[in-house]
Amino acid sequence: MDNSKIAHHISENFNKELEDIRNKVLTMGGLVEEQIEQAVKALTTGDMELAELVIKQDNDVDDLEMEIDAECTQIIALRQPAAFDLRLLLVVLRVINELERIGDLAERIAKMAIYLSNNSEGRLDQYHELEHMAGLVKAMLHSSLDSFARMSIDGITRITGSDAQVDREYASIIRQLITQMMEDPRNITRMLDMLWTVRALERIGDHSRYICEHLIYMVKGEDVRHLTQAELEKKMTSV
Amino acid sequence: MDKFNTAHHISGQFDKELESIHTKIIEMGRLVEQQLSLAIQAFTTGNVELAQQVLKQDDLIDSLEQTIDEDCVRTIALRQPAGFDLNLLISIVKVTSELEGIAAKAEGIADITIQLNEMLPADTEQETDNDGQ
Repeated sequence: MDNSKIAHHISENFNKELEDIRNKVLTMGGLVEEQIEQAVKALTTGDMELAELVIKQDNDVDDLEMEIDAECTQIIALRQPAAFDLRLLLVVLRVINELERIGDLAERIAKMAIYLSNNSEGRLDQYHELEHMAGLVKAMLHSSLDSFARMSIDGITRITGSDAQVDREYASIIRQLITQMMEDPRNITRMLDMLWTVRALERIGDHSRYICEHLIYMVKGEDVRHLTQAELEKKMTSV
Repeated sequence: MDKFNTAHHISGQFDKELESIHTKIIEMGRLVEQQLSLAIQAFTTGNVELAQQVLKQDDLIDSLEQTIDEDCVRTIALRQPAGFDLNLLISIVKVTSELEGIAAKAEGIADITIQLNEMLPADTEQETDNDGQ
């Protein structure tokens, strides 16, 4: 792992503290990735034990967030960092907040897995599409965590760019759901549960995109929130 | 108004900085509350112009969020606060992010108002009761 961005302080302890924070964020990120993976699997296979596990493990995600949060605040208070170090710590606070929300969304998917299995009549037609969409958002999250691990924003617009594809898949699944609701109103309850699930995946894509925006701020010191993908690409190539 | 403990620093300038951030976040909160009321009003009355106004004003909130964030980061970097002041500044950054999230939801309600209106047949009477206002 490239440590050049954080291992240059005269204080060895400070280096260690930053390294420790980075590792904890990556642990939290790994856990959240696993939560999405398991929640979607629980839904598509009807594995209720797995769904219950996801709901239970959400507490671990929350605990990690609070722990990292407290550590960051303490380091800011004690080390009084400036420039990149300060941005790094503030960005960690934001990134773990995004991760915590993604964790909540995975928990919601696990809850939908339970609802859907309670009034299920076999597999839903959209499972294939849903798995594909889940694959896309997991890849987005994974790449953004990878950027964080490398402390580099090379190729970051490729990650934010896949959000548009996620949105297209979302719209396409919603259209199918609406068609099925119209075909047979008895489907509506289940289709609505599916809709919340797809919506949760779409939100996970958004939060992964926000993580990328925070990383750009960390590296460049520039606030790039609320830009369109085109504006973002222009900004990233212009400097 | 309660100055939430900001006016006790040896540096009068620091007091002023915190107070200015305080004023801005109150203003941001007021705008977000207004956005939410307007969005709900637009939705329940089917008022598309009002919905468009909500969409337009969202930029204002986004830029206020950025300004407050920048102010907080600059103050942390320059003043190197500890204890209450540091917690206050970090909390403010978190609060602006929540407020922005609420504003984005209000924007979503306004969006849906416009979409619903486009789906309505032209001659349909719009819902005009005042529920939810």
